[in-house]
Amino acid sequence: MRRETQNILLVLVGGALVKIAVAGTFTRYVRPELRPWLIATGAVMVALALVAIVRDVRAAQRRSTGDPSPEHAHGHEHGHEHGHAHAHPGGDAHGHRPSRSPWLLLLPVLAIFLVNPPALGADTVSRSDGRSAAASAGGGESAFAALPGDAVVALPLNELIARTGWDDSGSLTGRTLRLTGFVVHQDGDGYLARLAIRCCAADAAPLKVRLAGVDVTALADDQWIEATGQVRPGTGTKADGYVPTLDATSVRVVDQPADPYEY
Amino acid sequence: MKVTITGEIRAARPRRPRPRRWRITSLEVLCAVLLLALVLQGWLVRVLDVPGLRTGATVFVAVCVQAMPFLVFGVLISGAIAAFVPASALRRVLPGRTALAVPVAGIAGVALPGCECASVPVARRLMQQGVAPAVALAFLLAAPAVNPVVLVATAVAFPGEPGMVLARFLGSLLTAVVMGWLWTRLGRAEWIAERALRRLPDGDGTPRWLVFAETARHDLVEAGGFLVLGGLTSAALNVLVPGELLASLGGQLVLGVLVMALLAVVLALCSEADAFVAASLSALPLLPRLVFLVVGPAVDVKLIALQAGTFGRAFAARFAPATFVVAVCCALVSGVLVLGGVR
Repeated sequence: MRRETQNILLVLVGGALVKIAVAGTFTRYVRPELRPWLIATGAVMVALALVAIVRDVRAAQRRSTGDPSPEHAHGHEHGHEHGHAHAHPGGDAHGHRPSRSPWLLLLPVLAIFLVNPPALGADTVSRSDGRSAAASAGGGESAFAALPGDAVVALPLNELIARTGWDDSGSLTGRTLRLTGFVVHQDGDGYLARLAIRCCAADAAPLKVRLAGVDVTALADDQWIEATGQVRPGTGTKADGYVPTLDATSVRVVDQPADPYEY
Repeated sequence: MKVTITGEIRAARPRRPRPRRWRITSLEVLCAVLLLALVLQGWLVRVLDVPGLRTGATVFVAVCVQAMPFLVFGVLISGAIAAFVPASALRRVLPGRTALAVPVAGIAGVALPGCECASVPVARRLMQQGVAPAVALAFLLAAPAVNPVVLVATAVAFPGEPGMVLARFLGSLLTAVVMGWLWTRLGRAEWIAERALRRLPDGDGTPRWLVFAETARHDLVEAGGFLVLGGLTSAALNVLVPGELLASLGGQLVLGVLVMALLAVVLALCSEADAFVAASLSALPLLPRLVFLVVGPAVDVKLIALQAGTFGRAFAARFAPATFVVAVCCALVSGVLVLGGVR
């Protein structure tokens, strides 16, 4: 691959990183804290490419004006003609073919600009039933802070499941909760689910709550909803695989939140 | 012979005739691909609108986006070593005997707080600067697994099991040192592609910051492609490996260890995240999960792709399987010693 093409690819990849970081869609793939790092990474990639482009252009100018300075020879050497370095006759016969691997950099660029993949959803939940973020959520500590005194408490799923699984103090008893997640249909039951990620979407693990008392069959998989209700006492323990049951009183269709995952 | 700063050697030669105008270069191909992709966008999006493919595409972009900052971090360090650290300084710091330098390099891995993508370009640059390959390889294997960020992540993921942190540290360090010593005994320089070992000239008149920028750019373009290849593989396997596989492993230790070791290779998780995945596989005893944590940062599809691209296929074909076996053994030894058995 020619050096010019490599530089254009670098600009494209760097631009793609900056684009998803600025537009906010990067939260579909990685944790929100990564935003400044993505912008910095994109900027470094673009800067490295620009330095090379400026050098090449200046070397080409000097060559055309016939400047005989040593800098000229040098810039020419690995500047403009770098991409053809493999074609030289003598020297290493093995293993110095033109490198084709940089072409692969085009794939994430096309994926981001054209396909713009959505956040993971119901498909991942049904694929990764062998794993559950809940199983690692608990632990030795039993110090759960008291819930706020509001009439309806908005609770992330990982905290809800940590409490049903490991909090013996009954902090959820009689409390009305509001949960946000997407619809998953499995084995005739309707679930409200969310994915927890630690680093990027590749390590996503599902969090699920079974919905009782409301009918979500009309809603498609991946539809984001807000469910209000009370957790049925005794559910969400090891016996049911840390999947609590919510006796829901209402379900409302909502937009996908800016942070689709829990962390 | 003339050596450029990117390590490309070429024989002195008469100037070749310029390529003829109608020749199709990669630049035209790139433009054509971009145009075609724009025209076919609607069709592409429709084709990809299958749940499995959608999931795969998201995981692919996620792996790439997550790894790019670390790769850029790695190539910047690599460029800095090339531009600002003379080979003689590295020789002074490291013990003269390779057998002693290997463990030193392993422990030096503590200082590179990144994941495995960062360590490949750095290890290559160390070799170019005259560090013995065995020593650079020990660093390559140790850095992603024993740095503080990864160890803290492991401690957070296994709150009730402080032994896991120590076991992981020892298992990974042992893997790196054993592989370094093995390379000293059995490794041959010709397995490593020549392009990876070419020495940089000291001071050929190019300003240092240009050497820095050009080295980093070159490493980034080369390694970036292979990183994408690794992300692609990892995304495909992420979708294809059935979840029930793990749930069914519960009581079978030998099978559990094997499957977890292979899973670490094919999933290619970031070493900062794999502890949380291991922790979530609560149906398995601790020992197979430790194997997962020790194998993952040392050998996975993303790393194999990066190594093949950086050091050549002949190298990767020997180094990756050997590392796999050594890592599994070291993890088992460390697990039995620290965790006191299977648990």
